[in-house]
Amino acid sequence: MPAPSTTEAARRNRNLCAIGGGVLLVAVLALLPGVASPYTLTMILPVFAYAIALLGLNLLFGTSGLLSFGHALFLAIGAYAAAVMTGHWGVKSLELVLLGGIAAAVVVAIPVGFLSVRYTRIFFGMLTLSFGMLFHSFLIKFYNVTGGDTGMSVKRVRLLGLDLSHLSRVEFQTGPLYYYALVLVIAATLLMWRIVQSPFGLHLRAQRDNARKAEYLGVRVHAFRLAAFVLSAAYGAVAGVLLAVRSGNADPELAYWTHSGELVFMTVLGGFASFVGPLVGAFAFIFLRDWLMGMTEFWRLAMGGILVLVVIFVPRGLAGLAADATTRLRNQFDLRSRR
Amino acid sequence: MLEIRALDVDIDGSRILSRVDIDVTQGEFVCLIGRNGAGKSTTFRTIMGQRKPVGGCVAFKGQELAGLSTFQIARLGIGFSPEESEVFADLTVAENIEMPTWVAGNRSTRSAAERIGMAYQMFPKLEGYRSRGGGQLSGGERKMLSIARALVLDPELLLLDEPFEGLSPVVIPQISEGLAAIRKGGRAILIAESQFHHVPDFTDRLYVIERGEIVFQGTVAQAERDAATMQILRGTDGA
Repeated sequence: MPAPSTTEAARRNRNLCAIGGGVLLVAVLALLPGVASPYTLTMILPVFAYAIALLGLNLLFGTSGLLSFGHALFLAIGAYAAAVMTGHWGVKSLELVLLGGIAAAVVVAIPVGFLSVRYTRIFFGMLTLSFGMLFHSFLIKFYNVTGGDTGMSVKRVRLLGLDLSHLSRVEFQTGPLYYYALVLVIAATLLMWRIVQSPFGLHLRAQRDNARKAEYLGVRVHAFRLAAFVLSAAYGAVAGVLLAVRSGNADPELAYWTHSGELVFMTVLGGFASFVGPLVGAFAFIFLRDWLMGMTEFWRLAMGGILVLVVIFVPRGLAGLAADATTRLRNQFDLRSRR
Repeated sequence: MLEIRALDVDIDGSRILSRVDIDVTQGEFVCLIGRNGAGKSTTFRTIMGQRKPVGGCVAFKGQELAGLSTFQIARLGIGFSPEESEVFADLTVAENIEMPTWVAGNRSTRSAAERIGMAYQMFPKLEGYRSRGGGQLSGGERKMLSIARALVLDPELLLLDEPFEGLSPVVIPQISEGLAAIRKGGRAILIAESQFHHVPDFTDRLYVIERGEIVFQGTVAQAERDAATMQILRGTDGA
């Protein structure tokens, strides 16, 4: 068989596997509320939120080669938008709050991105870090507007126009909000998959490889990077709204640089080179942290140690590890079926 | 079509190009030849807007290029294949080639499929490698891919920096044939070359550059009759 058709077949095979795996995962997550404890379910909600944030972050990091150390800024903007809209403006609908959060993030991301995308590597990282810290100080210092370090409360929202105020907090989170967030994750994943596979995604990968060369081909490198930055900010805001609606609070720590660091940690843990890596990373991080916190008061130390081990021994993250394992399995299977 | 007049370029305070004049007219194949460090790549980078000249000017089809950014110059119709590792390793051959067709604002009248087909036609070898990653190609294949990709911009002028450098003698004729075919299609080509024996026999004109200055211009036959020029050119072969 000629080489191109075998790779074509392999690609089709891989795609089928990916679709099958995705459907299976969604089915498991959809059935989970029937079996899992409410505690586990309330833990999965932030996983959903972070999964969305990391999909956005990885459009910058994995696809475009720009590592932001201030991405928590946009989660905080989403959260505070939710607080202002539900608390001050009396908006009840989560859909409107999500749109408001996205709009706020886009408005902030355009000037921040405009300045930041002119730089790459550590300079981009430091600039985004500074903007994140700037917003954090604003949240802390202007307590008349933002509630200072106590933050602002976020009122119960309606989902698709349904008034769910009769449900208890746990019922709300483990039932309607859980499914709402699951659908959001699915939609965000499919949309990001389209974006990454599109010519736009291709340009981002090309400029990551070599920005100058991309310009030789007529690519407006800065404009493409800015678009990626704004998109990732919008994803961050959706995550921020979800986190705030879950906790009922918009907290200034959401904007603190350690939160940005955690986002990067999750991405590295899951594997930034892989599309699903960030999703894996969000899940692994949340449950790992919960488990370690239950075991020892030195959980931060343990997390740091794990990050060191991941970077040294599995630089491609958990998703990379899984990809290697499936390749090995498939090769063994191929050998056996050929005999 | 391309007019370079009295171009002076400084890098870190030292003069790299000094009063360089180069003309390329439509459909012409022009070769800029000189030793390593003579200023060939600097000339190309200045045309592409990456170096700001301190004096002189570069114009393309009568339009002054000063103040335009690189991507704008590319969209005017100048396809540049640089000397360094030429392909996006992360993209497949097909994606590398298609890339310029997705750029908005290209002034080409040909359809994307037409432009892509044209590129494969010039370098048929690439056809078999469509789904291969850019990083898996040999040096010669990379050069072909880089030239093919520049061609997909449907440029009126191609700038090729050392298209034959580091290639095996078997591959050089393949590239050379591709260039001949491109020229037949009516495009102008300016190549930089550091070795005289690589200069294709269909070259229309030759510019010899030495320490940032053009020291000779004329046909290959004229160069061969000029003793001083031949001394420099023989020097390039020896190097």
